[in-house]
Amino acid sequence: MLGRIFTPSLIYATIRSATPILYAALCASITQQANILNIGTEGIMLMGAFFGVAVSYLTGSWLLAVLVAMASGAAMAMIIAVGHIKYQADNCAIGMGVNLFAVAMTKFLLNSVLGKNGTFTDPNLAGIPKLHFGFLSGDGFLNTVLNDWSITEWFVIALVLLISFLFYKTAWGLRLRAVGRMQQAAQTAGINVNSMKYQAILIAGLIGGLAGAHLSLGYSKMFTESMTNGRGFMGVAAMYFGAANPLLTAVGCLVFGLADSVGARLQPFGVPSQVILLMPYVVTVTVLAISLIIDKKRRDARKSSLVSAGVK
Amino acid sequence: MNSPIIEMRSIVKNFGDVKAVRGASFDLRQGEIHSLIGENGAGKSTMMKLLYGMYDRDGGDISVGGAQMGRITPKLAIEKGVGMVHQEFMLVPELTVLENIILGFEPRKGMVLDLPKARAMVQRYIDQYDMDVQMNKRVNQISVGEAQRVEIIKILSRGANVLILDEPTAVLTPQEASHLFEILENLRRDGKSIVFISHRLNEVMEISDRVTVMRRGETIGTLSRGEWDYGKLARMMIGREVFLNVDKKASEPGKPVLQVEHLWTSGEKEISKIRDLSMEVRAGEIVGIAGIDGNGQSELIEAITGLRRVEKGRILLDGTDVTNGSPEAVRRAGLAHIPEDRNLRGLNRSMSIEDNMVATKLREFTKGGMMDRSAIRRYAEELVQRYDVRPGNPQMPTSSLSGGNAQKVVVAREVEMGAKLLVASQPTRGVDIGAIESIEAILEEVKAQGVAVLLVSADLREILSLSDRILVMYEGRITGSMPVDEANENTLGILMMGGSLEGKEEAR
Repeated sequence: MLGRIFTPSLIYATIRSATPILYAALCASITQQANILNIGTEGIMLMGAFFGVAVSYLTGSWLLAVLVAMASGAAMAMIIAVGHIKYQADNCAIGMGVNLFAVAMTKFLLNSVLGKNGTFTDPNLAGIPKLHFGFLSGDGFLNTVLNDWSITEWFVIALVLLISFLFYKTAWGLRLRAVGRMQQAAQTAGINVNSMKYQAILIAGLIGGLAGAHLSLGYSKMFTESMTNGRGFMGVAAMYFGAANPLLTAVGCLVFGLADSVGARLQPFGVPSQVILLMPYVVTVTVLAISLIIDKKRRDARKSSLVSAGVK
Repeated sequence: MNSPIIEMRSIVKNFGDVKAVRGASFDLRQGEIHSLIGENGAGKSTMMKLLYGMYDRDGGDISVGGAQMGRITPKLAIEKGVGMVHQEFMLVPELTVLENIILGFEPRKGMVLDLPKARAMVQRYIDQYDMDVQMNKRVNQISVGEAQRVEIIKILSRGANVLILDEPTAVLTPQEASHLFEILENLRRDGKSIVFISHRLNEVMEISDRVTVMRRGETIGTLSRGEWDYGKLARMMIGREVFLNVDKKASEPGKPVLQVEHLWTSGEKEISKIRDLSMEVRAGEIVGIAGIDGNGQSELIEAITGLRRVEKGRILLDGTDVTNGSPEAVRRAGLAHIPEDRNLRGLNRSMSIEDNMVATKLREFTKGGMMDRSAIRRYAEELVQRYDVRPGNPQMPTSSLSGGNAQKVVVAREVEMGAKLLVASQPTRGVDIGAIESIEAILEEVKAQGVAVLLVSADLREILSLSDRILVMYEGRITGSMPVDEANENTLGILMMGGSLEGKEEAR
């Protein structure tokens, strides 16, 4: 049984199901560095998913579709930004508002623009291209593992590295981290705190929109009502797991992806499908709980008088 | 005499109904140390925050380097060469010293931080002014004195010619303070101008070229070196003669009320972890704990009062083992507690004076599960009278009280507990001098009634004038214990730094 589950194709399957969550997690990480919990990731992503499909269908250009999806994500994010920064609304409340708005709005637009209810798919839909490297085709293993990834699946790796670099190597990242950790200190250092927050939320919106476009045009090739199905929230969970560090967050997403793909392979063995559908969420709760417990243990140990921190 | 580099004239600033600054003036010359002194709430910090652009002024003129200034922002102030070291350090604890120093003015190559260049720049300041700081440590790992030097380097590296230091010595030991004064001397020699905010007259007289005194938002006068003496400055500050000398009765301590035996507790920082600490407080005495903030005093108090887990050891209150008891259980065993942070733990700020006053004895004021409003009112009115809380309306929310009056509410509540042990943590921090007088007198009275009092204070004068016995804490341990008549600021200062009295020469 194990031999049939853990095959080379599991590697790509894991990456495939992790990628949408990873985009969402990056979206959440950027605002988290500015100490803004981005509950609205789910809604931003759903909006992006719809606009990706709609623009792709109407124009036939996947690239334009992705760009418009990113813009729609940014627009949603700006609702959060204005509400949170200008009107000082609680970002959880406004994030939930955005999520509910996205569900209703995409349902409405699906009906009024694309004339469908529930699900939209069409042979003319231009998906995000998959890359096939001819020189890898000869090797069975490499062909299975590395060929036929969609462009956005490759791109997310670059994005993780890019955002890591942005956070920890650039002046912008230093300022962002300072704003998130001690706003007053950043302010007295002459940093425009609100402007930094707007920038962070805007970039998060672009990435959240991209997350949606990848979901509807790369991961699948259709739009279904509420198709994000909690992936935005799982992204937030992965962000917590990785403490908003892009690399660690990516590890968290891969764990989710692995759980999802292993679950899918359990079906032939008579495991009820409901249990399989439950897997990612059980893993989310477990991973979050474990990471919080470890975090607390580490904090307690650091504070304990019985342990010496090795200073002095 | 050279012309002023800063001029502030007829400055006005209101916070709601409170007139924080009313028509005050101040000027600063190139290359001088000019102290701004006054009691808490006299408006000195507010004045300087207006200059630095942290608040917008409601009236008056400010000129910097001869140029009239309109609305000032911190960014603009920095551009004009004005920098400020705040009472609360403006450093991000999770970032390194180096990252904090360059924050907002990062040397870079393109988008990327140029850390080698930053390091070289900081090293220049370290060498030039003889300030040792460790650039790669995170700020939450360094001492208060070092954090202060980091702040000074931070503002110097932004090109500051004018340095404003807001009560810089409040968190330092006497020895650290004199190191700071050497640094300030070096800076002055280098042509920098310094505003030194303080209410400690001795230091002010030691380092200032000129002193400006503020009282109730107004400037009372400016004196030059040679024109002042202690009494004159004190009179200008307070507006009358004041002697903070509590009438001290000889104490006859009774049996031990609080016994702490080989206590180990967690700490927020490595140096504030309590490791194997033993002490006791007896009935009818005040034991004062001296020490620099963050050397475990807060952790010790929290462990005693049931707010922090004891990892090893025992705490006995009046013979009862209260180790790891709930705060309520410890109170039942005979504890009254004036917490160090009255806004966090001392008071519910959104609730009224009367509700706060009965918070620890709600059971006495309920009938059949309902609060007995009229009894509460009568009780609160009596306490407001007796403890002179102003304004004396028990229904006012405590958030509208001044620091001193808010603290009187806490003191009234806790003293009226009739407890066997009173733990008073920083009881006079941030309160005006009138309230200090009355709170200190109350502590004396409580002791005379036979209560055991444990006092923690960062103010050595207070420790010396109230305590019968003094313990010094350093890095979570007790490094000294002595009767008050054997203690003075100097010996305490050395012990607070971790020095020993035998090896004075090595402790500077």
